[in-house]
Amino acid sequence: MNRVADWARRYGALIRNAWLVDLQYRASIVLWIIWGVTEPAIALGIWWSIAGEGQVGGYARADFARYFFALMLVNQLTIAWDSWYLDRWIREGDLNYRLARPLHPAHEAVAENIAYKARSGGMILVVWLVAALVWPAVRLPLAPGRWTLTALAVLLAAAMRFFISFATGLLAFWTTRATAIMGLHGGVALFLSGRIAPLTLLPPAVAGVAAVLWFPYMLAFPVNLLTGAVHGTTAVLHGFAGQLVWLGLWVGAYRLAWTRGLRRYGAVGG
Amino acid sequence: MTFRIPHSALRILAALWRLNLAEELQYRANFVASVLGTVFWIGTALLTLALFFRHTTRLGGWDYWEVVVLLGVFNALTGVIEAVLRPGIGRLASEVRNGGLDLVLAKPVDAQGFVSFRRLDVWHLADVVLGLGLAGYALSRLGRVPGVLQLAAFVVALAAAGIVVYAIWVALMSLAFWFVSVENLSVLFDAVYEGARYPVTAYPGALRFVFVYLLPIAWTTTIPASALTGRLGPEIALAAAAVAALAFVLARLLWRAALRRYTGASG
Repeated sequence: MNRVADWARRYGALIRNAWLVDLQYRASIVLWIIWGVTEPAIALGIWWSIAGEGQVGGYARADFARYFFALMLVNQLTIAWDSWYLDRWIREGDLNYRLARPLHPAHEAVAENIAYKARSGGMILVVWLVAALVWPAVRLPLAPGRWTLTALAVLLAAAMRFFISFATGLLAFWTTRATAIMGLHGGVALFLSGRIAPLTLLPPAVAGVAAVLWFPYMLAFPVNLLTGAVHGTTAVLHGFAGQLVWLGLWVGAYRLAWTRGLRRYGAVGG
Repeated sequence: MTFRIPHSALRILAALWRLNLAEELQYRANFVASVLGTVFWIGTALLTLALFFRHTTRLGGWDYWEVVVLLGVFNALTGVIEAVLRPGIGRLASEVRNGGLDLVLAKPVDAQGFVSFRRLDVWHLADVVLGLGLAGYALSRLGRVPGVLQLAAFVVALAAAGIVVYAIWVALMSLAFWFVSVENLSVLFDAVYEGARYPVTAYPGALRFVFVYLLPIAWTTTIPASALTGRLGPEIALAAAAVAALAFVLARLLWRAALRRYTGASG
C-alpha cells in the first residue's frame, strides 16, 4: 500500500508541475486547440457538401457532424507530442539531467500528457457542449454505458499513441530525422486512423490494410464507439482486443528502443 | 505612408540572400529531404481528393482535375511561405519576446521589409516548381490550353495571392506585440490555411463568407486557379489586384500601430 501512496505522491507533484507550466503558456495551448479544431472542421465542411441532402456510404450530414465532433474530442485526448520533446532532449542533451533523477523520464512525460489533455480536452468538451445547444445534429443520446466503454477505449488509445510517439522519438538516438518519421506516420494515419473520413468510406483494399495495423485503434475505434457505429458484444470485444495487442507491441518497441538507445547514447551538452 | 523602394534595399536583399544560399549549399542532403517531403505531402493531398471523388463527381462544382490545378497553386504558395515567410517574419514573435527586435530596429533599413525578406530557404523554392508543374499537368488533363489573356490574368492573380498571404502573415505577426507570451502564432496560420486546399465553393455558406471577406484565403488559391482554368473571366485579375492592395495597406497600418507599442526587452 505504501508503494501506491508513494507513486500517487510522485504523480501528484509531476502533474501539478506540468499543469502550472502549461498555465504560463495558456495562449499557446489555445492556438494548438484551434489547430486541432480546424482540421476536422474542414473535413466536415467538405463531407457536408458532398453528402448534400442524401447519404454517402450510409452517412448523412448529421452523422458526419457527430463523427467529426467525436473525432475532434478523441484526437485531443489521445494526441502525444512526445517524439518532438524526446528528439530535442536527445539532440540537445536535456536528457542528461533527466537520466540522473531517481525517476524514469517517461513518468514526467506521462504526467505532462495528463495535465495537457485535462486542459485541452476540457476546452474541446466545452466547445462541443456549446455547439450542441444550438445545433441538434451534434447531440449524442444519453448512454452512460457506451460513454464508460468509450472512456476506457480512449485511455487505451492514449496509452498506445504515447508509446508510438515515445518510441519513435527515441529513434533520435540513431538519426536526426526522428520527427520527420513521426510526420510520415501522421500522414499515413490521416487516412488509416479515420482522421479524413470514416474508415468505411475508404476503398475496401485500403480499409483492409488498415484493419491489420494499429491505426484504427488510435482513433476510429473509440470514435465509432462514442457515436454508436460500433455496437454489439463481438465488435466491441474485437476492438478492445486489437487495442490491447497493439498497445503491448508498442510497449515492446519502446523498451527495445530505450535499452538499445541508452547504450549508444553519448551525452551531448553540459 | 511611402512605398518607395530605395536602390540600396535591393542591394541589401541581394547580399542577404547570397549569404543564405552559401549557407544552405552546405546542407545539400536537406534538398533531397525537402523534395521527398513535398512529394509525400502532395501524394497525401491527391489521395485525399481521390477519396472525396470516390463519393462525388464534383466538389463545390469543380471536377477532379480542376481541384488538382488548385492544389498545385496551393503548393506553390506553400513553397513561398516556407522559403521566405516562415524563416523570416515567422521568427518575429520570439524576437519581440526576447528583445531581439532591438537589433533589427537599430538598422538603417525599413524594419518591415527587413524582417520579412531577410531569409531565403532556397530548397523550398523546389515546392514552387513542383506546385506549378502539378497545376500545368492537371491543366493538360483537363484538355484546356489557356490563352494569353488567361495566362496574364493567372500571373496577376498569383502575384496578388502572394501579397495576400504576405499581408496575412504581417497582420498575424503584428499580434505578437500585444500577446507577447505567444510564441507559436504561426500555428494559427497553418490551421486556417488548411482551408485553402479546396475551392471555396465547397464550403457551407458561413465558412465561405469568412474565407472570402474576413480571412481572405479564397483569394490565394480559388481565384488564381479559376483564372487559369477559365472558370472566371480575366477581369477577375483586377479584383484580385485590388484585394491585394487593400490587404497590403491594412497590414502595413497594423504593423505600424504594433511597432509603436514595442518598448524593447533586452538590456
